[in-house]
Formats: sequence, structure tokens, C-alpha cells
Amino acid sequence: MTQSIGTPVNRVEDDRLLTGQGKYMDDIGTPPNTAQAAILRSTYPHADIISIDTSEAEKVTGVKAVITGEQIKQYMKPFSVGVSAPVKYYPVAVDKVRYVGEPVAVVLAKNRYIAEDALDKIKVKYEALKPIVDIEQSLESDAPLLHENVGSNIANHRTFDYGEVNQAFEQADHVIKHKYHFPKYSAIPVETYGILASYENSEDCYTIHANFHGPFVIQAVMAQALGIPGNKLRIVVPKDIGGSYGIKAGAFPYMVLLAITSRIAGCSVKWIEDRQEHLSASSSGTDRVTYIEAAVKKSGKVTGLRMKMIDNVGAYIRAPEPACLYRTHANSTGAYDIPNLHIEAIATMTNKLPTGLIRGYGGQELYFPLERLMQRVAKELVMDPADVIRENIIKKHQFPYKTASGGIYDSGDYEKGFELAIETGKYTEFRRKQQEARKKGKIFGVGLANIVEPSGSNMGYITVALTPEERASSLPKSGCAEAATVSMDPTGSVNVRISTTPSGQGHETVAAQIIADVLGIPMDKVNVVAELDTSTSAWSIASGSYSSRFASLGSSAVFYAAHKVKSKLFKIAAHQLQVEASDLELKAGSIFVKDNPEQKYSLKRAVGTAHWNPLALPEGMEPGIYETYYYTAKNTEPPDEQDLINSSVTYGFVSDLVTVEIDPETANVEIIDYVTIHDAGKLLNPKIVDGQIFGGLAHGLGGALYEELAYDSKGQFLTGSFMDYLCPTAPEMPKVTIKHMETPSPITPLGAKGLGEGNTMSAPVAVANAVSDALSPYNIEIDTLPLSPNYIWRLLAKSDIYQKHKEVNA
Amino acid sequence: MEGKGKMSLNAGIERSWEVLMDSNVLEKCIMGCEKLEQIEENKYEAELAMGIAAVKGRYSSTIELAELDKPKHYKLIVKGEGGPGTVEAVGNIDLIAEDETETTLKYTYDAEVGGKVAMIGQRMLGGVAKMIIQDFFKKLKKELENTKQHT
Repeated sequence: MTQSIGTPVNRVEDDRLLTGQGKYMDDIGTPPNTAQAAILRSTYPHADIISIDTSEAEKVTGVKAVITGEQIKQYMKPFSVGVSAPVKYYPVAVDKVRYVGEPVAVVLAKNRYIAEDALDKIKVKYEALKPIVDIEQSLESDAPLLHENVGSNIANHRTFDYGEVNQAFEQADHVIKHKYHFPKYSAIPVETYGILASYENSEDCYTIHANFHGPFVIQAVMAQALGIPGNKLRIVVPKDIGGSYGIKAGAFPYMVLLAITSRIAGCSVKWIEDRQEHLSASSSGTDRVTYIEAAVKKSGKVTGLRMKMIDNVGAYIRAPEPACLYRTHANSTGAYDIPNLHIEAIATMTNKLPTGLIRGYGGQELYFPLERLMQRVAKELVMDPADVIRENIIKKHQFPYKTASGGIYDSGDYEKGFELAIETGKYTEFRRKQQEARKKGKIFGVGLANIVEPSGSNMGYITVALTPEERASSLPKSGCAEAATVSMDPTGSVNVRISTTPSGQGHETVAAQIIADVLGIPMDKVNVVAELDTSTSAWSIASGSYSSRFASLGSSAVFYAAHKVKSKLFKIAAHQLQVEASDLELKAGSIFVKDNPEQKYSLKRAVGTAHWNPLALPEGMEPGIYETYYYTAKNTEPPDEQDLINSSVTYGFVSDLVTVEIDPETANVEIIDYVTIHDAGKLLNPKIVDGQIFGGLAHGLGGALYEELAYDSKGQFLTGSFMDYLCPTAPEMPKVTIKHMETPSPITPLGAKGLGEGNTMSAPVAVANAVSDALSPYNIEIDTLPLSPNYIWRLLAKSDIYQKHKEVNA
Repeated sequence: MEGKGKMSLNAGIERSWEVLMDSNVLEKCIMGCEKLEQIEENKYEAELAMGIAAVKGRYSSTIELAELDKPKHYKLIVKGEGGPGTVEAVGNIDLIAEDETETTLKYTYDAEVGGKVAMIGQRMLGGVAKMIIQDFFKKLKKELENTKQHT
């Protein structure tokens, strides 16, 4: 049988998804007497709650209960979070509201209509407080305080020094610096949060069905908040999730909120989030201000970097924040050989929606200033940006490359990838055309971006938020454990259980491909169980598809679990054939002796023996075929005393070249061509790979051109519908050229690396570089996003050179 | 959002002032005003029904007349709260006597909205605010003319 891994096999998920047989959260039934929930939300960004009068709402026919923060608080402690600031985060406001959209009360009713209508009858008296939304102002000593007991708005603050940073700056020929602002944006899964929660007092146990991303790690946070043992909180994730991109990890506060309302009301409770709620009150990426400066030699070589990154985590810092600041810690210098690095990392809290996971998590915020600065270096040194990149990019012979902050880039050939982008995008030719077009008053530009795509997180990275002294007092965290279970029934068909809670990425397909290859059986004999149940799934600290875990870690666990099964079957066959297991081979459902293929034992018989004839098994072997493998990569040590950390398992590479034209009349940015080169090691399924790249790129272009969760200066949320929060749709997708290189990872057994997030990280800055390049004759620099026509228009209107230029041309 | 405007009233300044202070006139002139009750001197409680963009709903409001400088100037403070969100608006109104039968009214306003109205209606708000205010003064002018006919 030919190898399935590496071939563009059709997805096994698609038949059911395309014929309406997907099993999403809203497709599972509800127990009798389930109440539907509606949530009253704050209209104030910052206010004390003086009183809540629920009496009128309770009188509405069909209303079962109206529940406020004071009641919820009786059944839980604040959620824990990995920083020392004592922020008290409950899933509902207790005596103060801190962002528009924050839950204030929950109505449970016979149906959603009644529940929504009853919300209007709840009378809340607020006393408005001064809001704060600006990142830098929130750090000032006289800024309005969100959490009085914390004493400031700063939730986390750390500094890191790697190498000889000061020396690099003293010896630099140029110091080039700028401030960049990355906006707050989201990921917008088609399916919003969905939760069905039930409490049973006979067992004092909560069961929550939810389309929840990352069930294990945060399950512990939830159980702890509820003050119950882990096994009294059962979380069940359905087979299908309609997109997450990280955002659905933010469902956890709502899961706890509804679980407690179920307990109070004595019935099951269901809630499907609506789109306005999703935009205003689910979760989002951080907005970040970065001050970045580079020590640069005359040649364009960057010898040192200083970065001050201030992440806005919204009204409450909550798990897994402040991880956005640290997920990319090992790859802070990107694709460049920069040995000296200073980082100051701050997480601040303001009156905005709390943040959490989002595709690219921290990567787009990191690469926006870094790659913008690399282009600025070229501009100030009057060099071609491509030459600055060539001067700094990590060379092939340097792999495995150790970064300043402790990362180990496992494999790659960045120069080759970059040159492939230059060649594919016809860079030199474009530059020539650009010169001619400029003479005709046309505005063309080309942007380059090179990024390192980390995948599979070292669970120790989040503890970088703590000082080495703080870390010393608790259990060190390392590794990246991920489990898979492979079982065979007596007929020889296979069930595989994975814990990556796929939300559309096709994990079932790739898992089936791996099993088919290892056990030499057809893919259709493999059933992949993607549903996750914290009471019955193999427990690990796995976090769903967090940080592109499947290709690096999930697939490795499946691979080794399949090998455990294969090894057991070989032992059974070896025992029957009276040979050594190492002499055996497997092909087309038959186990045979390598040197004497006539001597064989069928796979089916070996499985049958394990189930039906256990007395014929080798001495000491257990009956049955049910193997779980826990995988962890060895290169994921805890952070050391110098804060060196290899925050991810594998590191892929993306090189983008994007060309744009800006319409002088409308200031609209049109992407002419988007070239993206990927090296994600060995590709497991090229069809799925390209789908992931298209999706990641659409999200990245959203960040570049359209998407922003906008607030006014007083903290009012302004983008509560798709009229104002623009998402790219099919017509907005430009021409995309994808090319692959495959430098296998020496870390993972299949040589694969994650790749679903690369362009989400690279596209915002690649487009910003292209637009800056286009507008460089007018002395316009892009230092924030999204690049809407309004924004570009204002920049052009402010540019004297452009205005003069326009007059001349008119 | 902010705005300003002016208009001329076909009445003398004293008479114009009188009409502006008349709570019955206020009730008639405020768009969507379903009830207006005096709760203390120069302070009223009102029920307003209003639709802004796709957000329709009721606001329980207080309307306060402050900084009264008869017959030249006063301040109108409106605070509303309801299902669709919150509205807070302050208007400054100045009357200038042109002659015995004509008065110029100048106004400035500053309004803020919160909650759902801001979330999904902010694009329309500027226009809506203008419309509500212009409607108020148009009706007021009519009221002045009507009452004149009666006297």
C-alpha cells in the first residue's frame, strides 16, 4: 500500500459537514425542562453597581430565575491566573462593571424570547466612573484604576536582557527606532459560543457541553474556581466546532457562569451567544504598543534590539494571559540573527473586552513592529529592504539556531525561502515597473515579511511571566504533553481518540492517514473520535489546537500510539510464528517474516487473538488492543534562571511578498498579488495545508485592512455588528501564490511542524510594508492598522508632498 | 457628538421664553415623548420611545432645566437609560431679541450614547441627533405660532 502521509487525501470530515450532518453544539439535544439563558450586559465601560432590582423581571410569565453577581459569587472563587497581581475575575460583574458588554445578570426562562424580554425589566443603578482605554495613559499614576486592590492597572511587568545589548547600541553606526501600535481585533468563527450546563446535586457534579477550545488546561482553572475536585467538572466537547481560531478558549467564564445558574435554578441551562455578544464580550487579541529600536551597522546588520511591549489585556487579566506577551518569546528576533536583545513586557488592564487566544497569538503583535523596523532600517540607510533582509537572515549552516532568548530553531533554510519569494514575486521586475508607474502618478508598492512560525508550546513558557525567584517557589513547568489512544476491535477496525478538539482543521483526516500508514490498513477502516470528554479522555495538559499543536504534537502522539499497537500485534505474531518480533514486517494486512515472507500471520488473526483467545498471548501480555501514548518533545525545558526558554517545539518559516496599488481617488488598497512561501517541515496533507494557509491569510488580511474592535475614547464599543466590524469575505481575497519547501523537523517523528497561523502573523505587516513602500515618495510611514481607505485618505490629506504632487498632476 | 444651530422665532423674547419653559410644550415637541411629569422645580421625568438605527426601545429619562437666566439663557440636561443603552445630552440655549416680534435662538449640544446604541448605531447617530433636535425646534416654532393665533 502506498504511503498516505504527504499526499493530498480528501478530508474525511467533509461528507458530513457538506451534507448537514455535522454535530455542532446546537445539534445536540437538551434535557427536558432546560432553561434558556439571556444575559444582561453593562452599557457602561466603568461604573459602580449601586443596586440591581430584579423583581419586575421575575414576575414575567415563563421566567424561572434572575441571577446576579452577588448570587454567583456564593458558589465560586475568582478564577486563578498566572500573574501575581491579585485581580479578582468573576464571570459576572459583582460590584463594579469594567467594560461595555460585561455580564451583570442572567435571566433563565422557558425560551430565549421570554428571557430576552425580561432583561428589559431588570433595573440596574450605576454610578459612572472615569474610564480608561488608552494603553499608555493606563500606566500613568493618576489613571483611573480598574482594580483598586491591585494598586495600578499593570497586571504583569518583566524585563529581560540577553547578550550584550548596551554594548551593541554603543558600537552601532545607526540607532533606528519607532513606536508601533497594533489594534485589537478578533477571529470571528461562524459558530458563536454554545453552552449546555447541568448541575446534579445528588453527585455534586457539573456537566458542561460546550464548543470549548482547549478543555484540559483551563478545566483545572474552572474546577478550582468552583471549589470542586476536577472529576466533578465534566466538560464534553462536541465532534464539530464551527471555527475557533483560539477565541473559543474564552468561553470558559460563561461555562462557569451558566453552570452556577443551573445549580441555583435546579435545571439544565442552555445559551447560544448572539453575534453582538460575540463581538463585544467574548474574547479578542490584545492591542499592543511597541517601542522598538535597533542597533545597526553600516552594512545594515542589526546587532541588537530593544523592545518595550505593552499589551492591553482588557478589563481583567484572565487565563491564559499574559501568554500573548510570551508565546513568541523564543522567537522574539524573528528570522534574523540578532544576538543581543532587551525586552520589557507589560500587560495592562483597561476598560475593554478581556483578551485571550487568537490565531497567531502574539505573533502579529510581535512581527508588526519588527518587520516594519527592518524596512525602516533599509529606508534610513538608503538600502533595498531585500538587502537588509539578506544581511540579517539566519543562514542555513546556523541550524539548529539558538536565539538570544533561548529558542532552538530546529531546522530551516530561510535564505532559500526568501529568495524563492523574491523570484516568485518578480521583485526586481516590480521595482522597475514601480518607477515607471510613479512617473504616471500611480501608487504601487511591494512589501516583504519574513517570520518564524512557532508551533507546539512548551508549557513552561507561560511561567516566564513570573520572575526566576517567583518560579522557584512552585512546581517547574516543562514539556508539551499530548495524548492519543488507538484501539482495535475484534474485526480489526480502528478507533482513534485525539484531544486536539479540532474546529475544522481536518485532524480526523490526518490522524486516519497516520494510522493507515503505520498499521497498513485502508483509511476507511479508521474512525477518529474527535469528541472530547474530560471524564473519559486521556488526561493531559493538552490545550486543544493551541499554537498549531496538531501537526507537531497531536500527530506525534497518534503516530507513537499506532506504533504501540503495531508492536503489540508483532509480539502476538512473533509468539505464534516462534520468531523474534524484530524479524517481522507488516504489509497489506499481513504480518510476515522479512527473510521468509511465506511465514506469515494475518493482522486480523493477531487482533482476534488479543480479544478472543487471550490464553494464546505471550506470557504476561494483557488481552485487548487499547494503547494510549503520551508524547512530549524533549527540547522543552522550563525557563532557566537567566529566563532562557525554548517556548515552542518546532519553528517553521514563512516568507511573504505582497504587491499593492493604492487608488489615489478612493485611497483603497488593492492587493495585486500575494506570494507566500512556507517551510513547515514535512507536509502531512498538502491539501489541508493549503486550506490552512488560505484561512490564515484571510485572517491576516482582515487584520491588515479591515478588522478592528473599535472603542471611543470614553470606552464605548463601536463595532457591534458586521456593518462596522468588517471581515474579509471571498471577494476580498486577492490572487495568492503558495509555494512550499520541506525541511523536516528533527524533533517530531514525522518531521512535521504546525502551519495554520503563519500568514495571520505575517500578512498584517507584509501589507503594511507594501503600503509604506507605495507611499514612501510622500514621506508616509505606516505605524498602525487596519489600513482602511479612511485611514490612508487622512494620511494622504496630511502629506504636503502628496498635496503638492496632486496639484502638479492636476 | 457635538453640534450647533440657530433659528428665528416669530415671537418676542419674553413670549419665546415662556413657551420654552412650558412643560406641556416640551412634551409635545420632544420626539417620542410619551409621558412628562414634573418631579421637582425645573426637573421632569419622561418616558421616551425612540429608534436609532436598528435599536428601538424605551428610555426612562430625566430632563432638567438649569442655569436659568430668564429670558436669555438656559441649559437642558437629558439623561436617559433603557434597554437599548444610555443617552446623556447637554444643550445650551441662548435667546437674542431681534425686535418685539422676532427672537433668534442659538443652541449647542453635546450628546453621548452608550451600550447597544453605540455598538451598532454609531454611524447613524450624528444624523439622528440632528434630526431629533431640528424636529424639536420645528415643533416649537409651530407651537409658538399656534399659541399666538389663540391669543
